[in-house]
Amino acid sequence: MFIARQSRARAVLTWFIAWVLAGVCGTPMTVAQEEAGQAISYTRHIRPILATNCFPCHGPDENTREADLRLDTAAGATKDLGGYMAIAPGDPDESELLKRILETDPDLKMPPPASHKTIKPEQIALLKSWIAQGARYEQHWAFVPPTRPAIPELPTGLNGWSDHPVDRFVAQKWKLAGLAPAPNAPAEVLVRRLYLDLIGLPPTSEETRHWTERLLASPTVPQTVNQAAYLALVDELLASPHYGEHWARRWLDLARYADTNGYEKDRPRDIWPYRDWVIKALNQDTPFDRFTKAQLAGDLLADEQTDSRVATGFHRNTMLNEEGGIDPLEYRYYALNDRVATTGTTWLGLTLGCAQCHTHKYDPILHTEYFQLLAIFNNTEEPDLELPSPEQLAEERTRVAEAEKLLEQLPEFWPIEPGSDEIQRRQAALTQAFNSWLEQQQQAYPDWQPLTPESATSPRLHFESAADHSIFVVGDISKDDTYTLRFSQLPAGTRAVRLEVLPDDRLPGGGPGLTYFEGPKGDFFLGEFKLFATQGTDLVPLKFTRADQNYANNHFGGQNVSAQLALDNDPQTGWSCAGRFGERHAAVFELESPLTASSDCVLTMQFGRHYPCSLGKFRISFTSAEGPLSASVWSQPAERLLSKATDQLTAEEIETLRREFLLQAPEVKTQSDRIRELQRKPAYQKTLVLRERPRQFPRETYRHHRGEYLSPREQVQPGVPAFLPPLQLGNNQASRLAFADWLLERDHPLTYRVLVNRQWSALFGQGLVTTEGDFGLQGDPPSHPELLDWLAVEFVERGQSLKQLHRLLVTSRTYQLSSAVSAEHLRLDPANRWLARANRKRLTAEQVRDLVLTASGLLNRQMFGPPVFPPQPEGATETAYGGAGWNPSPAPDRYRRGIYTFMKRTAPYAMFTTFDAPSGEVCVAQRESSNTPLQSLTLLNAPVVAEAAQHFGKLLQEMEGPDSEKLSSLYQRVLGRLPRPEEVELVAGFLADQRRRLQTGELDAQQLTNQIPDSLLQDSEKERAATTGIEQDQGRALSLRREISAWALTARTILNLDEAIIRN
Amino acid sequence: MNCESHLPRPRGIQTTRRWFLEQCGIGLGKVGLATLLAADLPRISTAQALLPPPPIRQPGHGQAKAVIHLFMAGAPSHLELFDYKPELVKYDGKPLPPSIIGDQRYAFIRSDAAVMAPQFKFARHGNCGMELGEPLPQLASIADELCLVRSVKTDQFNHAPAQIFFNTGFAQPGRASIGSWVTYALGSESKDLPAFVVMSTGAGISGGSANWSSGFLPTKFTGVRLRNQGDLILNLANPAGIDAQLQRESLDLVQSLNQQQRKLQGDPEIETRISSYEMAHRLQSSAPELMDLKSESAETLQLYGCQPDQPSFARACLIARRMVERGVRFINIYHEGWDAHSDVVGNHRGNCAATDQGTAALIKDLKQRGLLDSTLVIWGGEFGRTPMVESNASLGRSLGRDHHPQAYSMLLAGGGIQGGQTYGATDEFGFHITEKPVHVHDLQATILHCLGLDHRTLTFPFKGLDMRLTGVEEHHPVLELLG
Repeated sequence: MFIARQSRARAVLTWFIAWVLAGVCGTPMTVAQEEAGQAISYTRHIRPILATNCFPCHGPDENTREADLRLDTAAGATKDLGGYMAIAPGDPDESELLKRILETDPDLKMPPPASHKTIKPEQIALLKSWIAQGARYEQHWAFVPPTRPAIPELPTGLNGWSDHPVDRFVAQKWKLAGLAPAPNAPAEVLVRRLYLDLIGLPPTSEETRHWTERLLASPTVPQTVNQAAYLALVDELLASPHYGEHWARRWLDLARYADTNGYEKDRPRDIWPYRDWVIKALNQDTPFDRFTKAQLAGDLLADEQTDSRVATGFHRNTMLNEEGGIDPLEYRYYALNDRVATTGTTWLGLTLGCAQCHTHKYDPILHTEYFQLLAIFNNTEEPDLELPSPEQLAEERTRVAEAEKLLEQLPEFWPIEPGSDEIQRRQAALTQAFNSWLEQQQQAYPDWQPLTPESATSPRLHFESAADHSIFVVGDISKDDTYTLRFSQLPAGTRAVRLEVLPDDRLPGGGPGLTYFEGPKGDFFLGEFKLFATQGTDLVPLKFTRADQNYANNHFGGQNVSAQLALDNDPQTGWSCAGRFGERHAAVFELESPLTASSDCVLTMQFGRHYPCSLGKFRISFTSAEGPLSASVWSQPAERLLSKATDQLTAEEIETLRREFLLQAPEVKTQSDRIRELQRKPAYQKTLVLRERPRQFPRETYRHHRGEYLSPREQVQPGVPAFLPPLQLGNNQASRLAFADWLLERDHPLTYRVLVNRQWSALFGQGLVTTEGDFGLQGDPPSHPELLDWLAVEFVERGQSLKQLHRLLVTSRTYQLSSAVSAEHLRLDPANRWLARANRKRLTAEQVRDLVLTASGLLNRQMFGPPVFPPQPEGATETAYGGAGWNPSPAPDRYRRGIYTFMKRTAPYAMFTTFDAPSGEVCVAQRESSNTPLQSLTLLNAPVVAEAAQHFGKLLQEMEGPDSEKLSSLYQRVLGRLPRPEEVELVAGFLADQRRRLQTGELDAQQLTNQIPDSLLQDSEKERAATTGIEQDQGRALSLRREISAWALTARTILNLDEAIIRN
Repeated sequence: MNCESHLPRPRGIQTTRRWFLEQCGIGLGKVGLATLLAADLPRISTAQALLPPPPIRQPGHGQAKAVIHLFMAGAPSHLELFDYKPELVKYDGKPLPPSIIGDQRYAFIRSDAAVMAPQFKFARHGNCGMELGEPLPQLASIADELCLVRSVKTDQFNHAPAQIFFNTGFAQPGRASIGSWVTYALGSESKDLPAFVVMSTGAGISGGSANWSSGFLPTKFTGVRLRNQGDLILNLANPAGIDAQLQRESLDLVQSLNQQQRKLQGDPEIETRISSYEMAHRLQSSAPELMDLKSESAETLQLYGCQPDQPSFARACLIARRMVERGVRFINIYHEGWDAHSDVVGNHRGNCAATDQGTAALIKDLKQRGLLDSTLVIWGGEFGRTPMVESNASLGRSLGRDHHPQAYSMLLAGGGIQGGQTYGATDEFGFHITEKPVHVHDLQATILHCLGLDHRTLTFPFKGLDMRLTGVEEHHPVLELLG
């Protein structure tokens, strides 16, 4: 009986090893057999079993580790556990691991029954054999730096088949798998394949004809393309501006790019300049290291330019919650976590996000290390960057000059009675008016004494004071911030306080508030304004009786706002300056009675409403002047001079005051209004960027227990996981820049493998590593590890040029194979991991639409700029918050490429969603490629397809020549090939049937061409009339519409073919 | 052994379905994989063929086949409708004891805001004596069918995250919604309607399309929006001028040409495309048929209180019943508009009037047709509302209530749920749960349980993890709710 069990076990084992190898490697039996002859691999066969069943309790995470036993390292597994060990290399019978797995006592069995995990018998057999073979642990392949492997020889039988390095790596596997390569794809298929893969668009019929002919130019051997012509086509496409648009789309999936903020309100945002930056960078073939650095740390580069600051928009694509009830800091924390997860997926191919809540269960990323990565990104601010165009800047210079000129001319507009000696009389009148004004002002001026507080505090905020006593606020504001300012020894007699709220270019909307979302940028809301005298440790409130402000306006709720309301003990009412952000305003607060003695005082200002709206820059002044005081706002230089005696003023100072006088004088208000208008800063295009926080006020980062926002624990410093190369943080280097440098180290084990794999996937239909976003221990191992490493090394050595890499890949013969699936290939390699044929790929969502537009002649190839709103069915966005509307852009914007379509996160463009495009809410490394009835409905009935088909019909109707030529053109435009005779027969039959029904009026040609206005018909008719001399008439128009309809209906069917949306 | 579990999962590859079927030698039914639109479609397409199999129904679990989730978006007040607290009358106008509030943060109010007494009368109903607020008379009349859970709690206190949390088990977008999970696991029983349908009768929905997203599951498990009027499903209607005959002839041409291509190209995925087109065509007649209420009796229309051609919540409920009859698996009807930051009385009167009769009619109707046992009906929002009043002159608000995640109420009926019971309890202020807390994850586990699914084993591998609806913490189906 014992023997019987043994032999059965052996049989199971043999059978199983074959099976598991086939499964784990994704290979059919033939290849599996080859590999089965080798030792069992820890990485490929054993680790997946251990990872699933054992590592959660006996893995890298110390906090969940049981019995102080770890099985993810050889040292841990072979540790002496008191006379026995979990794994005894070479000796399965002495390995406690196996004993416990085979145990029947539920209290001893592993994994514990409560875990609902079971190790299958065949897996146990594998473990047993592995231990018998010595239980050799291996370092995970992706964590070891790639080295350049030797390029293998072609297998015998394929001699001379190709010299291309890629082919030689690939062909090596065919021999092992018993596969022979498919024939080359026909020239016309290659032309369409290259167009769709390199620029994302199909070739026009002219391009198809031209390149097919050239590729077949010297057909000494049929089916062999002229490689020189092929190269010329590749280079032409790599140089096309559409190249950048196509490849940018893939990058934007990773960048979770969208044109709205996400969450409930999902309001529009301006970040399309970042999208344009990506397109341009790819078109310019910006080396990948530069491309990376600009996006992660463009604001910190030595040669930082506007461009590289725009690039930091990569990490501003995080979502922003503008619901009334949110805690802004909590959502900032979520965005920060998203930055770590996205960086991990995009550059490292690691699922870093898993370590937010606990040490990673599979990859060696500790919980603390996760927060060290978080710290790298934590010291940033999130401002808008203004992007004035050169024309706007020139215009602004003109305006400023004009304002200056007008200001100089202002005296000339001083009104006097007409008559003689006007110049002298005007001069005299002006001087007199000025002098009396100045005297009046000097007398009335309360002699404000600006004071810098001894200290200024508020949680999470830092206060920077300047020589002019202004205070600039840095840090994270909340919905309820109180600023506490301490002034020492305010003089006796102090009667009033003035609060100036000041603009600054560093503030959102130019200030004076710190609001940057939910409310209007630049807003603040002063709810309470209080002054206390200190008596020992007590604070004695001082009573204000009156307040005034130069300007007050409320953005939200329509209630009154005023400085007086900041004295009423109700923080929900107060003072705000909406509508005139970016300007200086002031409020004055008068005490009931003056300070009787000089005292230390504390001033508190409370800010906030249902969105964070604290103050970004201000100045506090005191005066002992008696009220009522006015809060009029003077220009800064002029006001300072008012407390000076007239005879002490220099000529220059007089001139400053004179200008102030003229600008305030009602006599020349028309002119001074014009000056103010000219001086007003125009609204420039903005984009979202990152900016490093001042180094003296770094944001502190903590480990958060279970990843929860409200559970910060110990503080952590920037760093990277220990299993990766160390991060070199120079003394003066910001961590983001150091991190970018670290990612780009030449022998980084992950960055370049992840990158070249993604490019491979884009061109070949699946990655060498199929889990493109996970190169960790749970990811799939590479099908061609040597090829992957060779490409990674080659990429770096060739100067990190993506275009060069794409050129290298598409010039391989492997890329040029036919995608027809033979029964033999399907049997031997169903998933096509060995690439003995080309993969058929469904076009991406944007490509499907671009193809429909291109084929029908509608595509508008204009590049860049604000997003557009192509038509979509009514109601496509109605479930979004507030029932968001969608006003379609007029032609020609509605025919722009898909990448320019407005991306609304909570209601993405419906057609794109149907074809598996992401919503921009999270980083997506790989799109699905589904095949659903909703896709069929879209292609049959969507407005965009209907409109395109009609234009297509018109285009075919207008073509000269017989039906057969029109049909050929239709096929070439959509499918890039000519129809086969059996197709012609079917399609011609359909065309004839529809013509007949149109003729009888069964089908309504007017309706079927409702997107073609009469004017278009008439235009072409006039041309025809001019050349043929035949007059236009009503009947002629109808027959034209019938013919357009017939072709439109035919075009519609061809656009619906499987082949239309497949890249063969 | 199970062959799918050892297959690799390449994505975006257009091959191998046939191989999969041949090699693995298993019938399609046995694979049990769902399709969005099922029956005579080949039961799997390529992308799916290589996915791990969803678990099958668990023995000892429920037998429900369908779920109708009436999502009261914006969050109804449990204190006005479901959880009567006389103590609040005493405290009216005074702040709550600080010990109750702790460090809870609020959206709009301060934690020292005054308490507001319940604004509606409550009465006991049915044999079970269920205590309900006065604006829900129709639901009150079927109290013995209802299970009132007074101890639901969530992690989120803002609309979009809380709605997404309720649907996907996670507060940020990116995960699979429960409707996607269920259709992934159980497939469809409808030949010509989508398995997971989403309707909306109020204003727009805070969480947006993330609420019915398939997340990391294949995109085909995304909820399909069914509109109340106009084109029922986006792009369902033929373009102008294309009649039924022309659509059929166009389709025939497309299919013939695709068949030719299938022979030349050898890719079995083309057959899936061919099937998709046939299904699309069937959908063009089945969806309008679904919405055509002519065959409904006058009594039925009266029961629901809806006009056949007038979009309303009640009509959506009637259509939901018709969907269940036709095999639709998971139905979401969103009624947005409960966010009573001001005037909770006016707001709730309006929303109750809009939803009370339709919901009660749906439950009665399902029962009389013998469908209630196999259909789980859920009524409720994403969180509750504060015992404290919300008023803010600068925002023009008064007599409202703010968001309250610690405790709120939901109604369940059918699908194996025991009617006539009130489960769980809150403290005297309706602030904290005092008995039998039901976390949203527990509720999700319960819904799955009713459908015969175990929330612990309904997993999907993504980014190196076995993802599940109910997250990593320990949660349980609330078995006491079941009969």
